[in-house]
Amino acid sequence: MADHTARTQPAETQTAQPAVNLEPYEVFRQEKDGDPMRHGGSVLAPDPTLAVHYARELYGRRQESVRLWVVRRGDIHLLEDPDLLQPPLDRSFKKPGGYVMRQKLEAARERAGQAKPKARER
Amino acid sequence: MTGRSSQDDQVDLSADPDPIAHAGSSQASGADESPTSPADPTADPVTAAALAELLLALADDDLVIGFSDSEWTGIAPILEEDVAMSSLAQDEIGHARAIYELLAALVGSDADRLAYDRPPEAYRHARLLDHARGDWAMTIARRYLFDTAKTVRLEALLGSSDRPLAELVAKIRREEVYHLLHVETWLDRLARTPGEARTRLLAALAVLEPDASSVLAPLAVEPILRGSGILSASSASLLNAWHARVGPTFARLDLPPLPKTVPDPAHARCEHGEPFRWLWGEFTSVRRLDPAATW
Amino acid sequence: MTDPLALAPILPEQERRRLRFSDDVPQDERHRNFEAHIVAGGKVEPDDWMPDEYRQEVLRFVEMHANSELMGVLPERDWLLRAPTLKRKLALTAKVQDEVGHAQLLYRVAEDLGKPREAMFDDLLAGKTKFHNVFHYPTRSWADVGIIAWLVDAAAIVAQQALRDSSYGPYARTMRKICWEESVHIMHGRDVVVTLVTGTPAQRAMVQEALDRWWGPLMQMHGPRTPREKDRDLHWRIKAKSSEELRQEFLTIYVPRIRELGLHIPDSELRFDQVAGQWRYTEPDWDELRTVVTNHGPMSQERLAFRRLNREETRWVRETILGSPRVAA
Repeated sequence: MADHTARTQPAETQTAQPAVNLEPYEVFRQEKDGDPMRHGGSVLAPDPTLAVHYARELYGRRQESVRLWVVRRGDIHLLEDPDLLQPPLDRSFKKPGGYVMRQKLEAARERAGQAKPKARER
Repeated sequence: MTGRSSQDDQVDLSADPDPIAHAGSSQASGADESPTSPADPTADPVTAAALAELLLALADDDLVIGFSDSEWTGIAPILEEDVAMSSLAQDEIGHARAIYELLAALVGSDADRLAYDRPPEAYRHARLLDHARGDWAMTIARRYLFDTAKTVRLEALLGSSDRPLAELVAKIRREEVYHLLHVETWLDRLARTPGEARTRLLAALAVLEPDASSVLAPLAVEPILRGSGILSASSASLLNAWHARVGPTFARLDLPPLPKTVPDPAHARCEHGEPFRWLWGEFTSVRRLDPAATW
Repeated sequence: MTDPLALAPILPEQERRRLRFSDDVPQDERHRNFEAHIVAGGKVEPDDWMPDEYRQEVLRFVEMHANSELMGVLPERDWLLRAPTLKRKLALTAKVQDEVGHAQLLYRVAEDLGKPREAMFDDLLAGKTKFHNVFHYPTRSWADVGIIAWLVDAAAIVAQQALRDSSYGPYARTMRKICWEESVHIMHGRDVVVTLVTGTPAQRAMVQEALDRWWGPLMQMHGPRTPREKDRDLHWRIKAKSSEELRQEFLTIYVPRIRELGLHIPDSELRFDQVAGQWRYTEPDWDELRTVVTNHGPMSQERLAFRRLNREETRWVRETILGSPRVAA
């Protein structure tokens, strides 16, 4: 945690507003070096400073994480429109499964009088 | 060592009040002091005894604040903060345990015996920690005063001529950074939220202020600790360093400045009131059923 | 030549499942699609459409679980200060901390279903919602700490492991995290018990006495047998195993482990019926269970009162600094 998270005077308390709201902050964690960030869960906190502390407690107190991202839920943009993520028309040309060549390969080998090469040594 | 005692607060006067002086001579476990090298400051028994007193004070401080603050486990203001405060309390007990282990090696005992098997008056924690847990403001105020003082003290021990202590201090200090961040965050919020929050903080500070400097009060053996290089700074300079850190924060938060009175060594660590006696009664209650048993 | 694939939708129907729950689908068709989705092992996320009944069932289930973690803190909390060695002190504090952490995880799941945390606390403390039977009983000795951490947690874990594949995504994921964290508690509890049974006669007697008291509530813990077809939680795949399956699983694993320590289980009827392939036991006292979970257990009122008091004492912190949560998004 960078020093400045504690030293910075939180703007919202400079004029000492009494009622602050708790908001959910999503916590993403990296289990070990090289791993992707994975969603762990969420904490309620009044601001990012305490959100980071609480994320460390709920998702890192057992030394189970090497990195945490803590993000205000309200700042996350959601996309789940199936028309955008799973559109109906064919897109097999974007996937390896869209290129089935077995019959063509057999035809080509037969024509060339070649046997199928042995599988490569690992 | 202790006879059968009931679970209430009876102090067994046959208990050894001074395990530091007598451990190693009265224990049948054949405890030897750890092998010493020529450069080892504890080769000299006088220095060793002085180091033992220092370690006892450090460990007792961490033990008592750790036990007190662990009371918040399960009942803190919100669940997230509950987990956080419990971690801080566990860390302190972990620090206490590590220091008792060092002390155990030095005097020929074991950490649990040192932590549990003394009557209340034989504990050497600072008066600041004698107060009951109190409300959230009291806990934060006391933690802030303690953690800032502890940090200053740890920094003075980083270069200690006693290598095991110096190495341990380096690790403890890294954990303390997080403690300080957390309690400063809370001090800030309490101080700057008008109304009940600030009022309670001011009330807590007023209660704790006379004992605030007890954590850095000089031990009687300070000249020996300084002479041997175990401690690199005097209590007076530690207090100055502490005021130099706490002062600006208090000024920024418009809190009454802490008095710069020098703590009285005779009273800083030796007289314990009812809150600690109650705590002692609780934390020794199961153990006193049978101190010889394995739990 | 036109590639015929260019004109045909080739993605399998189940990948477009969300359309089956959209607003323009008639209500009962939506319900049927949802049920089919659940029965096929599909998962539900907080933003998904779900029938009211499902939402209410999940919320009720998770809320009771969260309440139980919160109240479950109290029996052990009494012994936090009294732990007889530094290691036990650390282990027990960490365990109770974990329970608070689990309460946090579970209340978060429930909050995201639409019920604010403070409303859940209100209902718990007013006696409108429940918590598990075992947390209504007193702890009388250090041995209780071992028995609870070992056997009560074991019975809970048997149930929790079966929840890791719950149909409600956030709950399933939370259960996986909780199960991982709980495994340490059981080891700690078993260590305490094994240490006591290999200790002094007084310590051995302490453990046996604690087991004698806790066996009844343990056997009641998973609840009475309900016919599978009537169990709505099974229907919605919120849980996957019945009460009796869980109890049998607990007995299979733990009866041998209890007996190998020389401890006596206070049920003369308890035996494994080889022919039927299941444990036989004295029928648990379901009246006791009903009495206890409706907050008439030996410690129910005292613990609820303690929580109410503590909540009042810390109210000022929430009202000034930590604030009250906005209604869950």
